[in-house]
Amino acid sequence: MLKKSPWVIHYDASSCNGCDIEVLACLMPRFDAERLGIINVGNPKHADIFLVTGSVNEANKEIIQNIYNQMPDPKVVVAVGICACTGGIFAECYNVSGGVDKILPVDVYVPGCAARPEAIIEGVAKGLEILETKRKKLRRMAKGLEELTITQADPSDASEILYLQHLAFQSEAEIYNDFSLSPLRQTKDEIIEDFKKRTFFKAVMNYTIVGVARSRMEGNVCYIGRIAVNPAYQNMGIGKKLLQAVEEHFNTADFFQVYTSHKSKRNIYMFERMGYTWFKKERVSENRERIYFKKKNIKD
Amino acid sequence: MSTPLFLIAFPLIISVILLFLKNNAARFAVVTTSFFVLSAASIQLASEYFKSDMQFLTVPWGFADHAIIAAEILLSLYVLFTGIRHKQKLVTLFVVVQLFPLLWFEFKGPHIEIEHPLVVDRLSVVMALIIGIIGGIISIYSLGYMRDFHEHIHKEYRDRRCFFFFMVFAFLGAMYGIVFSNNLRWLYFFWEVTTVSSFLLIGYKGTTESIKNSFLALRLNLLGGVGFAAAIIYLQTRVGTLELDKVMFSQNATILLPVALMCFAGLAKSAQLPFSKWLLGAMVAPSPVSALLHSSTMVKAGVYLILRFAGVLEGTIAGFMIGLVGGVTFFLCSCIAVSQRDAKKVLAYSTIANLGLIVLCAGLGTYEAVWAAILLIIFHAVAKCLLFLCVGVVEHKIHSRDIEDMAGLIITMPKLSIMMQIGMAGMFLAPFGMLISKWAVLQALVDFNPILAVFVIFGSSVTLLYWVKWMGRLLTVVGKQDEIEGTVRRTEWFSLGALAFLTIAVCGFFPLVAHSLVEPYIEEIYHRTVDMGHGNIVIMLIMLAMVALFPLSFLRYGKSVKVVDAYLTGANTPQGIDFYNSLNTPQQMDMKSYYMQEFFNEKKLLLTGIAVSTILILISVVSPIC
Amino acid sequence: MAGIDRKITARLQGRVGPSIFQPFYDVLKLFEKETMVVRRSQNFYVLFSLILVIFTTGLFAWGANLLLVIFALTLSSIFFVLGGFKASSPYSFIGSQRELVQIASYEPAVLLSAIGMYMITNSFNIMTIFTCDKPLYIPLAGILLAYLFILPIKLRKSPFDLSTSHHAHQELIKGITTEFSGRALAMIEIIHWYESIIALGIIFLFFSSNILTGLFAASAVYFLMSIVDNSFARVKWQKAFSSSWLVALILGVGNIIILSFLSK
Repeated sequence: MLKKSPWVIHYDASSCNGCDIEVLACLMPRFDAERLGIINVGNPKHADIFLVTGSVNEANKEIIQNIYNQMPDPKVVVAVGICACTGGIFAECYNVSGGVDKILPVDVYVPGCAARPEAIIEGVAKGLEILETKRKKLRRMAKGLEELTITQADPSDASEILYLQHLAFQSEAEIYNDFSLSPLRQTKDEIIEDFKKRTFFKAVMNYTIVGVARSRMEGNVCYIGRIAVNPAYQNMGIGKKLLQAVEEHFNTADFFQVYTSHKSKRNIYMFERMGYTWFKKERVSENRERIYFKKKNIKD
Repeated sequence: MSTPLFLIAFPLIISVILLFLKNNAARFAVVTTSFFVLSAASIQLASEYFKSDMQFLTVPWGFADHAIIAAEILLSLYVLFTGIRHKQKLVTLFVVVQLFPLLWFEFKGPHIEIEHPLVVDRLSVVMALIIGIIGGIISIYSLGYMRDFHEHIHKEYRDRRCFFFFMVFAFLGAMYGIVFSNNLRWLYFFWEVTTVSSFLLIGYKGTTESIKNSFLALRLNLLGGVGFAAAIIYLQTRVGTLELDKVMFSQNATILLPVALMCFAGLAKSAQLPFSKWLLGAMVAPSPVSALLHSSTMVKAGVYLILRFAGVLEGTIAGFMIGLVGGVTFFLCSCIAVSQRDAKKVLAYSTIANLGLIVLCAGLGTYEAVWAAILLIIFHAVAKCLLFLCVGVVEHKIHSRDIEDMAGLIITMPKLSIMMQIGMAGMFLAPFGMLISKWAVLQALVDFNPILAVFVIFGSSVTLLYWVKWMGRLLTVVGKQDEIEGTVRRTEWFSLGALAFLTIAVCGFFPLVAHSLVEPYIEEIYHRTVDMGHGNIVIMLIMLAMVALFPLSFLRYGKSVKVVDAYLTGANTPQGIDFYNSLNTPQQMDMKSYYMQEFFNEKKLLLTGIAVSTILILISVVSPIC
Repeated sequence: MAGIDRKITARLQGRVGPSIFQPFYDVLKLFEKETMVVRRSQNFYVLFSLILVIFTTGLFAWGANLLLVIFALTLSSIFFVLGGFKASSPYSFIGSQRELVQIASYEPAVLLSAIGMYMITNSFNIMTIFTCDKPLYIPLAGILLAYLFILPIKLRKSPFDLSTSHHAHQELIKGITTEFSGRALAMIEIIHWYESIIALGIIFLFFSSNILTGLFAASAVYFLMSIVDNSFARVKWQKAFSSSWLVALILGVGNIIILSFLSK
């Protein structure tokens, strides 16, 4: 049914408004997008299709991310106009980062300056087909059949990682009623800094990063930390897979070490099932204790 | 000793004991035992008398009448001297105008033989249950509340807890006196005792504001008392009887004037317009006082009296005028409540409004109306008491009475907010109590005079506004907050829990209550039965069941949904509750409710109300003479 | 019905417009979307509101007491408003406040209709009112007009689409429905449909002396609402409130006063 009722949210990133006027023209009697069921809703939570015009710059990077994150799945991103696709004639300006695909996975590119209403509607229609595919993928994934890839992450994933950390550690913070946990207070730049000292692994499903872990090697011990999995994808074994990926990567280490807080039962269970045993308890704050786990690496 | 006498005497004895009991533990023991004793006795009373029609009792002690006259003189002299000492001219005037003529006529006027000084019928039973159970619950609550009040929050006020509990129990005894008295002079005495209790308890804190407001209450209630005294004198000299039942069933046209005067007193005690100011001012008192006197019991005495005379008022101009006063009060005070931010003021205006609804029914006097009125009394007493007590606890914990500060209470004080919501639901939500009563009121009014229904309609549309707005405020959560419920005392929890349970139980069992107590009373007085319609009762119970299921769902719902931030046009900061404003600095989102002050200006509406109701009352008192 | 409304709107604006089954497609699509919330329990209020409104419609169709039906409907609306409050976002908050003002605006006229019907048929029972063979719209003309005035409020159409509206962007983003997505939003749509049915059902009752006139009247009124929706701009909520009370007072109460004089 997604094809019959696509709801659109339109965001003007840094457009000259030329493309925006063309988008509005689509709703006018001459082109009448509503006969396809397209409604321009002003609210990402109601929308399926994210129409972005204009290029990405420092001011709107986070905002675009934010709106994208507030859209429920399945969703597609349509970059309207050449500025949204690649930056257009402003691509080399000092403040412009480029097209929307610098920060979001774009599904449909509708070039033009300004893009014509017919092209926009065609782009939305193409987006609908992609939406259908995504929906089916979502269905399969919900039944646990979707494939998961785990690879090393790089600094460009920093904003997604930040958002993921925020989401995943929200529940931890709720348990301890402590919102000053460091994962929640990190900034994106700090994460990019961390990339220099740590190796990041990301679990990707459906083009989105759903899990992340960081690790470093010191001496003969591999320290693993900040294993974060998107709450909507928890209990699917992603954390375990991340841990395994890290262990495989650092298979020259003698020991693996990881820690968690004392009330995080699920984490404790996961570590113990993977062969970790706890060896140290440390009180970090008034109502929180940290438990350290260690595992000997069985090298072949 | 008969149960009614026990119920009057027991609290009085306890009050004297409590006056001298400074030890907290001992006080706790005495108060809790008294609660059980009083409740048990009230229930015992109900089981004894619910099957029978009006029954009369005599007091075994012959000196009772003289004792009461002596006590009355002492009381009036006390008030007189207080009035003189504080240079309160009106107070002094009102006392003098009441005391001396009454005494004159008492001793020099025609001697009236009192056949039955005490009466018990189903209405008394209903009132007695309310006084005993709810009064007892409030006294237990007061143990914990007053302890916090003096030891933690308001160390600056003098600890007069002995006096406090003495007054509370003395008051309870007097309330029992009111509902069991058949001798109107005795009723008048107990009435004045409640006035004085209210005066003393309002001024408990001893601050200038409290004292000012306590005298305001005293003045207005004494003014009502003047009307009452005039009625007694008239009855003694012109009619020849001083017994409630005889007045209630009298067919004599001359009865109307004293009845109108006594209703005048009732209106003053129930803080109807134009007397409402004293109830608003009474909110400076500690919460148990507000709950006990000014919502559940004392003000109910006023409407009780008017309700007694409903049969006489039916079909008369005086009755119609009084009904209109009730209707106007209901409408205007509901409107004013929308514009208030102080939680206790909202509750006060809501109380006045609901009392107005009861007065409307009582003034009308038809059998359906009285039936609705009694239901209203029951439901309102329970739900409003719950709300006042909750607000008291909340005020102690968050140090504010402002509704806007109660945001997020569902997280910081979950159990308490749920109880508050039960109380609020009880006040206006179908299928809870007040809504059932409003439904009954509308049914009753439509037959008689649809124009009166207009007041109810417009008024009840407005009640939605202030209740749901407040409810919503409790639910809106921005950011994370700690739970602060831990320090609420056991006694407070007990009372709140008991009342919450009662609110629901009374709604669930209201068909039973209606059938066993209310309908028989109506039959007795009016010889007509009220039928709510079996189907309607079933529907209401189904709705109640559905609403009751609502909290269960929280147990497993919401586990698998994705939580994101609120939509702030994409400009959320990572914390989620702030956003970047146009200067690119984080700013927290802030939400304030509508108070519609341009529509519901307190001053303007009060003035209109006072003007209109004064005219109506004048007509009601003058018309019997013509 | 909602689909027909969109089609009419589109044609009035010179467009082709969506298929009349579009709202069904919308709801089905919404069920397939992920559910996102700001606070975990917010959707539950919507679910409850839906259950209650279905119950109310059932009551209405079964012919129960009209007053009870109105109060049950109010109960459902209140749960919806509480859900908006729970969502704890500025837009939904204001949406809820305005929704409350809307409810307070239309309640008097609706209750007056019930009172008026009682005065003519001597019963609050819907079945009795339905089977009454006197045409109600003649003696209750004033009340009917008052009800028609507030009907756009109930149906959330211009000039009174204050708290949330379907197609147009409006000043509150989506007002009370802002923070609801997926299934909850679908449920809200369905709630609106049921509310429309009940609202028009009351119109039907006014004309129920003849079933055909009743049906015709209900459809005509709906058509009228569409046209009104497209002809007027939104008013301020203060104006909505004061005008609806004024109309209810003058037309509605006036009608009742006249009726009570006539019957005496």
